[in-house]
Amino acid sequence: MTDTVLHFDRVAIELGGRQILSPTELTVKRGEFVCVIGPSGCGKTTLLRAAAGFVTPSQGSVRRKGAPITGPSREVAFVFQDYGRALLPWRTVQANVSLALEAANVPAAERPARIDHVLKTVGLAAHGQKFPAQLSGGMQQRVQIARCLAQRPDVMLMDEPFGALDAMTRETLQDELARLVREEGLTVMFVTHDLEEALYLGDRVIALRSNPTPELPSLAALIDVPLPQPRDQLSTKEHPEFLRLRRELYHYLGH
Amino acid sequence: MKLKSLAFPALLIGALEIWARTTGQGSDAIAPPSAAVRAFWGAITDGSLFEATAFTLGTAALGLLIGALGGLLLGTLLGLSRRAAQLGFLSVEVARPIPSVALIPLAMLVFGFGLRMELSVVAFACLWPMLVLTQAAVQQVEPRLLEVARALELTPRQRFAWIIGPAIVPRLFVALRLGVAIALVVAVTVEIAANPHGMGYAMMIAQQSLDPALMLAWLAWIGVVGYVINVGALALQRRVARAMGEQAA
Repeated sequence: MTDTVLHFDRVAIELGGRQILSPTELTVKRGEFVCVIGPSGCGKTTLLRAAAGFVTPSQGSVRRKGAPITGPSREVAFVFQDYGRALLPWRTVQANVSLALEAANVPAAERPARIDHVLKTVGLAAHGQKFPAQLSGGMQQRVQIARCLAQRPDVMLMDEPFGALDAMTRETLQDELARLVREEGLTVMFVTHDLEEALYLGDRVIALRSNPTPELPSLAALIDVPLPQPRDQLSTKEHPEFLRLRRELYHYLGH
Repeated sequence: MKLKSLAFPALLIGALEIWARTTGQGSDAIAPPSAAVRAFWGAITDGSLFEATAFTLGTAALGLLIGALGGLLLGTLLGLSRRAAQLGFLSVEVARPIPSVALIPLAMLVFGFGLRMELSVVAFACLWPMLVLTQAAVQQVEPRLLEVARALELTPRQRFAWIIGPAIVPRLFVALRLGVAIALVVAVTVEIAANPHGMGYAMMIAQQSLDPALMLAWLAWIGVVGYVINVGALALQRRVARAMGEQAA
């Protein structure tokens, strides 16, 4: 019995002859919420895509529950930032969620109950018959999260999922995601360029730097976030520890 | 709105009526619209209007069906497989610019006069836009959706049936609408140039038998038929685009 879900085993990635990520060692444990921050072009999305099996590392390997990842798997769910492009516009909300169940060969008789359940979980129970174009951005992203939940994955990889949303919607979705993670015991790896978001959501925060060298590798910092759960948009963000960590990590974002 | 858009054609027809009555008395080339209406009524009552229209539209529709199916299959193949696209590129680019009417002599040699000759030319003309637009549609399916397909480990069959197929439907109907217009134009052209059937031939016969009123009647009728069919095709295309979740098409 191992509780390590993802293990980045000295993973290095080159794209087009340029080193994006220098050898990086990292583990994500079951039930953990790990946030990855860094300036644009530091390879944080590439790291996530390697965990999804979209990108093959040039050195080392990413292991999921001990086995090297060789390609995408339904056990790993990926939430894209551009929810508008990641949903099937010709399918209703229900049918978009159903796609994950159809892919997993879930019998048709079992699908409605599972679709209802995940739509209720993300607060879209009343919108199952609508098409994505009839929903707001925040609701569309909820549909994508629901589709990923329907996969019942080992780990959910989220690539700046709230980056395109307005501030109000973003905070609402952050709280919903935090609640989901607590209730469903999800394991999440979450890429963001928003330091406060990373500290607010994460159990741990990983800071990456761009243009890594042997002296200054990609992994710039790995910080535990010992803030109490459940977190709160006001009190957590005023917590002295939150402010201290924010100050400590601030310069890793290219400031 | 509707009435306003009719005002200009009405004015034009009125002017033509006056001009034809004053200068074109007994002309072999010009007839007043009122005479064309009488000739049109004659074509309705003797059944020639229905027969010729049915032939032209039926041939255009069947030719479009054959050409569009061929274009759909080939375009999908060339869109899915880069190797097929490389192999087929030159053949497509050489065959595509051939004017469809240039095929009439060959089609006559192979099929003689009649339905099959006209069908083959219409199908040829409709094949290319369908092929090119289908290929482009398949190649331009939202890359993010293909990543979703990968993330969900869809089989190639599932990926085609659930993602690529539905994603290209709106653009197929754009291609089909273009095909409808092409099919009608080519069918009438073939009838004027060679095939002794349909609306194009009826118009030619009217001209050769020095009946300008009947010729004008056919000309106007072909215009009306083309207009109605294109409006219908456009409405269908928009409806499909909406059903497939597109904002505008």
